[in-house]
Amino acid sequence: MLGSVVDVAELSGERPRALEDLLVATAAGDRDAFSALYDATSARVFGLVRRLLVDSAQAEEVTQDVFLEAWQTAARFDPERGAAIPWLLTLAHRRAVDRVRASQASRDRDLKTGIRDLAVPVDEVAEAAEIAIEHEKVAEALTSLSPAQRECISLAYYGGCTQSEIATRLEVPLGTVKTRLRDGMIRLRDVLGVTT
Amino acid sequence: MNRPQGPTGDELRELFDLAPAYALDALDEFERARFERALAASPELQAEVDSFRAIASGFGEAVEPVAPPASLKAGLFDRLDAAPQERPAESERADASKPASPAPVADLGERRSRRRLAVVLSSAAAAVVLLAVVVVGANWFGPNGWGAQREMTALAAASDAQQITAPVTGGGEVTLVTSVEQGRSAILADGLDELGDEHTYELWYIDEAGAVSAGTFDVANDGETWRILEGEFAPGTAVGITVEPAGGSDQPTTDPVAVIQT
Repeated sequence: MLGSVVDVAELSGERPRALEDLLVATAAGDRDAFSALYDATSARVFGLVRRLLVDSAQAEEVTQDVFLEAWQTAARFDPERGAAIPWLLTLAHRRAVDRVRASQASRDRDLKTGIRDLAVPVDEVAEAAEIAIEHEKVAEALTSLSPAQRECISLAYYGGCTQSEIATRLEVPLGTVKTRLRDGMIRLRDVLGVTT
Repeated sequence: MNRPQGPTGDELRELFDLAPAYALDALDEFERARFERALAASPELQAEVDSFRAIASGFGEAVEPVAPPASLKAGLFDRLDAAPQERPAESERADASKPASPAPVADLGERRSRRRLAVVLSSAAAAVVLLAVVVVGANWFGPNGWGAQREMTALAAASDAQQITAPVTGGGEVTLVTSVEQGRSAILADGLDELGDEHTYELWYIDEAGAVSAGTFDVANDGETWRILEGEFAPGTAVGITVEPAGGSDQPTTDPVAVIQT
């Protein structure tokens, strides 16, 4: 049911089905399987975490935590419902975002007083999609969004910002941010044909 | 559909509206905790989240992979002995493969206990993060600082957490979240009037002995905020909100704009 985004990813041909089997074996305590899973996926996880955290030392800590959580909670992975990489990246994104918010403790205050400019390029979603040309369907779908929708989604996903932080940063009402995020994501879902 | 634990009506619609932001990890701690409580009881909401997660992980896959240093793997495997694994649950797996069908009520309790287990299991790793928070965040003690956010997360995840929503005189509503187990409560205000510099909202724990201040709060122009109440929450206590002069009062000086009986 994860539908075509998963299919899009599989078109890239770099994710053998074996990853899902490795994750299932990990749930049963198979350390060799976990080791192989780590070898095959750690660069993706580290890449994403470092993108959000920038600081390499923190990114390493979080990446280790992500895999430790994967080891502990692999039993929740269901190969019927999706692939291993999205499952890992969901864990990774959540943990990276939590660390962004924790380690930038004064971020809220700074955003409010406008002292600090977050180093987040606003159109990074489109940019990132261009880099990874195998995700051309995602890139194509992104062009159907308004620049304002893309900007909000980018600040959320790649900037690790909450809706309120995005509103503060862009100096628009919170309700506007909520609408842009929601409409943008629904639009992407429609264009990509993901079914619920 | 009859799911006594699940959100219904307006609340469900509002939660569906939040699903894209949840999938992007763009909810703050309070909103996330509230969303996840509803998520555990609503397969429809879970299916909605899954569909947006599929898109979000597409963004993640678009990021250039970077190989981590080799030492990271050795460090990881050193930690495995101290990291117990959740057991595979065939029953839940079978259930999860049909997310659109209502979960049997009996399953919900089981799933919740598994979620609690997950919280316990991840707490060792989380402690590392929390330590970083304490060190780095030591200079930020705002009323909704990191300490309060952690308390709020814990409260919202409490196995006995209850929530009650009541209208506020003058507009808006307030939701009280309580846990007898934790002896704690919090309010989420939505759509309240901004009071300006000279007045503040004050929270009260009210019982037969009278009203005891549980702190003050203000709302910004969007009318939304949340606050952990000061002091111990006991079952049967009512929670009241009054408008007081800035800085708060020792005893209520005006009629409450909201009272929630627990």
